[in-house]
Amino acid sequence: MIRKGKGIGCMWYPIGFTVAANPSAATVKVNEDGTATLLTGTVETGQGSLTVLGQIAAEELGISTEDVHVVSADTDATPMDTGAIASRTTYVTGNAIKLAAEKAKEILFEVAAPMLNVKPSQLEAADRKVQVKGFPQRFLPIDEVALQAQFVQGQPPIGSASYNPPTVDMDPETGQGKPFSTYVYATQIAEVEVDDETGDVNVTYMAAAHDCGTAINPMLVEGQIQGGISMGIGFALQEEMLFDEKGVQINPNLTNYIMPTSLDMPDIDVDIVENFDPTGPFGAKGVGEPTAVPTAAAICNAIYDAVGVRITSLPATAEKVLALIKEKNEKDIKQLSPAE
Amino acid sequence: MDVELIINGEEKTASIPPETTLLKLLREEFYLTGAKTGCDVGDCGACTVLVDGEAVNSCLMLAGQLQGRSVETIEGLANLEDFHPLQKNFEDLGSLQCGFCGPGMILSAKQLLEENPEPTKQEIQDAIAGNLCRCTGYTKIVEAVADAAKEMREEP
Amino acid sequence: MVDKVKVKERESTLEELREVNDDLRLPSVPEKVSFPIDVVTPEARTQTPAVGQRASRPDGRMHGLGQTKYIDDMSFPGMIYAKIKRAGVAKARIKKIDLSEAEKMPGVMATLIGSEIPVNSFGPSYQDQPIIADKLIYHAGDPVAAVAATTEQLAADALEKIKIEYEQLEPIFDPIEAMKESAPEVHPGQGNIYSSKIIQKGDVDKGFKDSYRTYENTFSTQMVEHVPMEPHASIAEWDANGRVIIHSSLGRITLGRADIARTLDMPINRIRVVATVVGGNFGGKNEITTEPILALLSRKTGRPVKGIYTREDEFMSSTTRHPFIMDYKTGVSEEGKIISRKVRLVCDGGAYCSWSETTLGKACILSAGPYNIENLYVEAYAVYTNKTMTGAMRGFGAPQVCFAYESHMDDIARDLDIDPLQIRRINAFHEGSASPTGQVLQSVVVKDSLDVAADRFGWEEWQK
Ligand code: FES
Ligand code: FES
Repeated sequence: MIRKGKGIGCMWYPIGFTVAANPSAATVKVNEDGTATLLTGTVETGQGSLTVLGQIAAEELGISTEDVHVVSADTDATPMDTGAIASRTTYVTGNAIKLAAEKAKEILFEVAAPMLNVKPSQLEAADRKVQVKGFPQRFLPIDEVALQAQFVQGQPPIGSASYNPPTVDMDPETGQGKPFSTYVYATQIAEVEVDDETGDVNVTYMAAAHDCGTAINPMLVEGQIQGGISMGIGFALQEEMLFDEKGVQINPNLTNYIMPTSLDMPDIDVDIVENFDPTGPFGAKGVGEPTAVPTAAAICNAIYDAVGVRITSLPATAEKVLALIKEKNEKDIKQLSPAE
Repeated sequence: MDVELIINGEEKTASIPPETTLLKLLREEFYLTGAKTGCDVGDCGACTVLVDGEAVNSCLMLAGQLQGRSVETIEGLANLEDFHPLQKNFEDLGSLQCGFCGPGMILSAKQLLEENPEPTKQEIQDAIAGNLCRCTGYTKIVEAVADAAKEMREEP
Repeated sequence: MVDKVKVKERESTLEELREVNDDLRLPSVPEKVSFPIDVVTPEARTQTPAVGQRASRPDGRMHGLGQTKYIDDMSFPGMIYAKIKRAGVAKARIKKIDLSEAEKMPGVMATLIGSEIPVNSFGPSYQDQPIIADKLIYHAGDPVAAVAATTEQLAADALEKIKIEYEQLEPIFDPIEAMKESAPEVHPGQGNIYSSKIIQKGDVDKGFKDSYRTYENTFSTQMVEHVPMEPHASIAEWDANGRVIIHSSLGRITLGRADIARTLDMPINRIRVVATVVGGNFGGKNEITTEPILALLSRKTGRPVKGIYTREDEFMSSTTRHPFIMDYKTGVSEEGKIISRKVRLVCDGGAYCSWSETTLGKACILSAGPYNIENLYVEAYAVYTNKTMTGAMRGFGAPQVCFAYESHMDDIARDLDIDPLQIRRINAFHEGSASPTGQVLQSVVVKDSLDVAADRFGWEEWQK
């Protein structure tokens, strides 16, 4: 018989390295026509980090994502970056980029201020314009300012900066300290169907509510969450590297190492929990790794809700679930007939 | 040995060692690197191309078996004027992340849409079940295929 | 100098050649690839403010066209291919490596063994991992030799001809067994427990005494591969100024470059690491693997050398997710408030430390869950075993401990007859909560995430 269950997995996860320095540096160059080039030493590993980093630079300069070209991943040309690890790119590299763009913007403001008859501190950048705060009717298009800066004032609007999350080291005896600058939080709730005759578990629905601070690009955040859930499903139900008694792996191929296919995926509803972290670039934190964290917990709790067995070792393969169901049934029968 | 075949609508010949797979032929003889080597043994679908309209794992086929047949690769989908609707919808929805599974995924979907212009979600999932993706959870891929199907029905 | 061939002679030779094969007049060109160049930019990319836009990725279009160039899609004139021989035994001493047969194979241009590597060790925390094993084998996937040949197939064939004599040593695979005094040492002379952490807050024993009930359970998790769809890939090539250019699927190029410089014993500025879009990382491509090997093979042969992991290499020799064994004991009040928690984590660290230090640290801190717990004691150990090394993988120990603390939480809720959502609400961090390490937390939205997910799921209304 197919039995349904629901289960919660809730988690917290830090951004960046544990205490250890993990800096990023960045350079932002505003071109003569108001477009910009961003140099970063991080690498696009599929998450869409370069898009997000471009959006951060664009926001600071008041231009659009399309106006920013991102150059990355060449140690000869791009500045130091700790890299695509520890869910740190949006937060750490993002902060470095925001600071670098701010410096380039300051040059633009210095040049624009006398042209607009105000002080640099009265200016803001928005919609491809440098405009007066509180009186946006007075403005200059950013390309005009950039051209003026470069070729009249001889001050190319370029900024470089770096960022390293502030931490406090941990006491070796008690572990007390501030190992991370910030954390994200999330809950996933799974609905499963368990076949109590075969032990087969089918995840039918997943509601995922993730905090990532400000979502710089909601589409990419959703993509991370959906992908993280698929990895979590593999971890919960299918994947396991197996070794023979001599320590040689017996399933070093995708025939025998089972990972999720399109058929294993449930319907997923993603919610981005509204939040703003004052220490992140425009309030952003990160989202990469945490998406894969609570999935297995939610699924195993749902299995318990469905058939009343507690999975204590992963993965919850059909054989394992079935064995536990049988064990439980036997116990139940014994309890029913105490006469023995 | 020599093999004559049609690649993306053009007749081609190649002189190759007999153990050459279709995947190697495409990648190394014709520099069509859209089909990827994810496993080289038929498990992952990264090497998917269409042979006579049918999605196959090109790492499993020998080039010698292709004599006179027609092969379509990801490079043959767009032309100088426009993209294939699948390509457009994959881009718009951000369906691919690292992109490595993409060419194979899109070709599997193309075969589906040619045979079944109005697929259900389940039918789409079935069609791409042989194409592994580690990044996306397949969600936005399935959505993009459904959107492309709709677009193709509306403006054939 | 006098031309030996007169123009007329050349013309006639040319005519002859033309007659023989007219096709010679056609230059060979790569396959045509066509796509629109003048393209409309998707709207969300052009709008301001930029933050919050569903802006499409610039690489998204390339992906769909098959135009994203990963390392394996690149080739250079004269490029040759490297393959790596793996030990196949979990623990052994290398007695002899005989490369002579392999070197005689057609197409083989160079071989490389561990003793030829200037500094044959690396690792992000401890440098306990050889680039190519030279004396001892620590796990079955250890590289023992490399071959560069004119084709991938020839290189693979040559691997078969490499003869290695081993003296088998006693391996250990179970981390709990490996912690015992009597266990054989994975790295001789160093205990098997290579990292340990403690977190202590309040008084757990008193906490347990004050508790209404206490619960105990043990959880364990398995070893998992990252399975990036693109296997590890690199190409190395030297220029005449003695600089090496390495195209690599590394996700962490700056630090990768420093590691490469260390192993090659070269100044950092002589090394250029160029990455492309990585075909999936998930933590698995954060360390150097074959880059120094390819660089050295390239130096030996004067040719660009490409090395692509097979799927089997990927499983046997790249890092994996740590298996954990997790003992939990938790004391709660009648209302379900957690009063005291004691956790013991043992993580199977595999043959090398890799990112285990970090994994252990994060797992330790996170193991209490996103909950306010006044009395907490966590101890954690990373242990060497003769298995594939475990390293960074999406979550650094967090999915493991989350599986444990959340399963444990539900068991407690059931026993106390409290709704699982409710028990989490009761215990969840709030703005300003103190973390297990005493850090004051900000921008905390645990309860919000619980409520949003529960609403979306229809937690209350849901029926079996
Ligand atoms: S490369 Fe052909 S199926 Fe994996
Ligand atoms: S997008 Fe990375 S494998 Fe599919």
